Amino acid sequence: MTAETIEDESETTQRSLSTEAARNLATTTKSAPQVQAISPRWLLRMLPWVEARGGAYRVNRRLTYEGGTGKVMFAGTAADIVLIPPSLTEIGFLAGFTDAGVLTELAGRFTRTEYHAGEIVAADGRLAVIAHGKVTKSKTGKYGHTATSGVLADGDYFGSVLDDAADNDAADNVTATAATACTVFTLTRQAFDEVVARSPALAGYLSGVRSEQGKPRNAKGEAEISLSSGHEGEESLPGTFVDYELSPREYELHVAQTTLQIHSRVADLYNDPMNQVEHQIRLTVEALRERQEYELLNNPDIGLLRNVDVSQRLHTASGPPTPDDMDALLARRRKTRFFLAHPRTIAAFGRECTKRRIYPETLVAEGKTVHAWRGVPLLPCDKIPVTAGNTSSVLAMRTGEDDHGVIGLRQTGLPDEYEPGLSVRFMNIDEQAIMSYLVSAYYTAAVLVPDALGILESVEIGH
Amino acid sequence: MTETIDPALAASGGNGGQPAEQTRQQRSLTTAAARNLATTTKSAPQMQAITSRWLLRMLPWVQVNGGTYRVNRRLSYAIGSGRVSFSVAGDDIAIVPPTLREIRPLATLDDADTLAALAGRFKKKEYRQGEVIAEAGRSADSLILIAHGKVTKQAAGKYGHQATLGTLADGEHLGEEILTGDEGTWAYSATAATPCITFAIKRSELQTLARQSAPLREQLAKSHNGHGPINAHGEAEIQLSAGHDGEEDLPGTFADYELKPREYELHVAQTTVQVHSRVADLYNDPMNQVEHQLRLTVEALRERQEHEMINNPDIGLLHNADLSQRLHTRNGPPTPDDMDELLASVWKDPTFFLAHPRTIAAFGRECTRSGVYPASVPVGNHSVPAWRGIPIFPSNKIPVTNHSTSSILLIRAGEQNQGVVGLHQTGIPDEYQPGLSVRFMSIDEQAIISYLVSAYYSVAVMVPDALGVLENVEIGH
Repeated sequence: MTAETIEDESETTQRSLSTEAARNLATTTKSAPQVQAISPRWLLRMLPWVEARGGAYRVNRRLTYEGGTGKVMFAGTAADIVLIPPSLTEIGFLAGFTDAGVLTELAGRFTRTEYHAGEIVAADGRLAVIAHGKVTKSKTGKYGHTATSGVLADGDYFGSVLDDAADNDAADNVTATAATACTVFTLTRQAFDEVVARSPALAGYLSGVRSEQGKPRNAKGEAEISLSSGHEGEESLPGTFVDYELSPREYELHVAQTTLQIHSRVADLYNDPMNQVEHQIRLTVEALRERQEYELLNNPDIGLLRNVDVSQRLHTASGPPTPDDMDALLARRRKTRFFLAHPRTIAAFGRECTKRRIYPETLVAEGKTVHAWRGVPLLPCDKIPVTAGNTSSVLAMRTGEDDHGVIGLRQTGLPDEYEPGLSVRFMNIDEQAIMSYLVSAYYTAAVLVPDALGILESVEIGH
Repeated sequence: MTETIDPALAASGGNGGQPAEQTRQQRSLTTAAARNLATTTKSAPQMQAITSRWLLRMLPWVQVNGGTYRVNRRLSYAIGSGRVSFSVAGDDIAIVPPTLREIRPLATLDDADTLAALAGRFKKKEYRQGEVIAEAGRSADSLILIAHGKVTKQAAGKYGHQATLGTLADGEHLGEEILTGDEGTWAYSATAATPCITFAIKRSELQTLARQSAPLREQLAKSHNGHGPINAHGEAEIQLSAGHDGEEDLPGTFADYELKPREYELHVAQTTVQVHSRVADLYNDPMNQVEHQLRLTVEALRERQEHEMINNPDIGLLHNADLSQRLHTRNGPPTPDDMDELLASVWKDPTFFLAHPRTIAAFGRECTRSGVYPASVPVGNHSVPAWRGIPIFPSNKIPVTNHSTSSILLIRAGEQNQGVVGLHQTGIPDEYQPGLSVRFMSIDEQAIISYLVSAYYSVAVMVPDALGVLENVEIGH
């Protein structure tokens, strides 16, 4: 009995110093503060950064006659969807027309039609705007089979109400078929002519457009440089000049800013082994850089997602991102440097590849193994939005000033520069002994030529 | 030797036509006799349990001088692992009430009676495969816990077809919104992918209970307005202003830290090796007995260390994956699609996969079935299987359950990458290998020499998205 109790006691009584007690004498090794929100920021890494002295960068281009780069907008839910009148100016021949009253009247003349998947969306002599759904354009190939020539979706338009539109889809025997259930708004030529008859402003505007359309232009809509070749003898050569845009787009550097506040007691005393101010600044800078990448993609003014030319906007043929869609995206430009997609989109693309029994080879970019398609790296970026309907986008771009691609703009040599294009300036110490630092990042991105940047839209990533 | 000829051998040799040879005298020294003069070349003792221990090889090791490593993080408000536990006794399955706190809005509810009362209000329901548990567009009026089974979440895509959003399984729940009070409809349909056992509580019953129980009422009210602005990862926001023009008021901000950061103490794997002094003194040619005793013990300790780094409930990687980083296979076997999904969860520079060799074989089968042949990648002198260029290392320490299911880990490694790091301390007394010491203890009255062999180690996940786990991977074919 006694022996047992002694044994019990010896088990419960600590006979030497415990680790808890020993820790009071030891120094804990500490990690620097960790942040989940830091991402690889491939866009910032891969964009070539060009110095924008003076805070602005002007992109001079050859004179282009084509206007309207966006999509017609709609508001409301599926049941009572309405056209937003000012967005009608996104349609090529209405670009730059500003009379709100006439636009509202035009919008009122559109009639709404619903189509089931597989039905033919008739557009002869009409302008059709897709409010929701996907439409496949196809025509009969040379030897009789049907050749698909593209997919249109929300906000896109086709057909024309101008009688002199030479490149009218109807003239090319294009058949538009609803690929999904579609809501389409159509405007007949008759209704359009009525509005024109009543509005001298619109009639005047249209005659201006027509006279411009008569000018020679190349396939990209730029003013033609007249040349002569293959001639024999003493033919008179064309005199020419390269016309420029008269009001070229200027990109001003945007700013992401915040004031970082640190109590002077924290900054003065608690600095061993890690400098408190340094780590506060490091984390703030990381947050600014993440925001910078977000803005470069999503800002309504400079964001790359908003600055894609209408001719560079593609839609997936079926829904998920297939190898065919990626090939179509690649075909739209030379020297594609990289794709940028949400990680979930990349997973969806991997699934589609696996479904087709393809295993795309990976690449090593900047020391990291990355996905690739046709030798072009497919880089992940969580700033590309995923909508509530589980759709996202894939960006493809050519980069660099020399290649007329997409470039990032910044200015180095700022006062109190901390990193290129980012400054940390001491502001003040206030009465509560709080020190403030102004942290600013200056940046913007410019697309030098429209075909440098392409987008694959309405990519469904649910599986 | 020659006299003892096996008669059976003689009989069988009789048909061979050379009976004379069998009776012939041995004319030279037999090998058996010669062996008495020769020294046998001996192998060092071999051990089957030694594996390649890829985890220990691939993890970068951080020196922890004070025995404790503190992982400082930005202040994060997300709490609760999100998985409710169930007790199973025969056919009887019940909620373990304290684990209801894993549901985020209930995370700080400490009152055991309230939790028990709440658990009592849940109604058990079983679903057959393919039955609909919740339907998109219907009013979301209940909180549903999945006790057993897999549930597929589906929603209509933008253009009308069905899209699968993900899979929920044992312990997970849907309809958390009823706790925070927002009336709404299901944003997705939930269908039983396997036979399912669920527990559900209706909003009305929850409200009845909340009227009776003050702690629950307070808890539900509290979860509405807990904290300041947070980012997508649940961290306290660093407020910024971007894209503004002119003299706008700028937000004042600071990066808040967690007040009680997690501290990892070095774990220990220890044993005493006993060698009789007579063995240690005499039998040392050509191999040192003590050295080989120690070598094998160290190998066993290292194997144990890897096991602990994967399975220990406190530090093991399988137990330290964040809920949002735990995925389930969609069908059962590890398909290329599941691996792509796992890669999307640790998408910031993943370093390697870790899986049981049988899981790797199962994945190979699924690749073959899908018709893809993933290229392997060279690692050192080895060629290892890989998926999308990320190597898949084998480790038999990842458990395989009785039902032939296992897990696949995906790890981003390195302190600089905010990944997973191994922790050790080098420079300890009597160090034998980095982080492992062999200390002489004593020689006792029976002349037995004892050595204390200790390995110190731990493993830390710097941020949750450094580690992803694909669970419930079926590896039987």
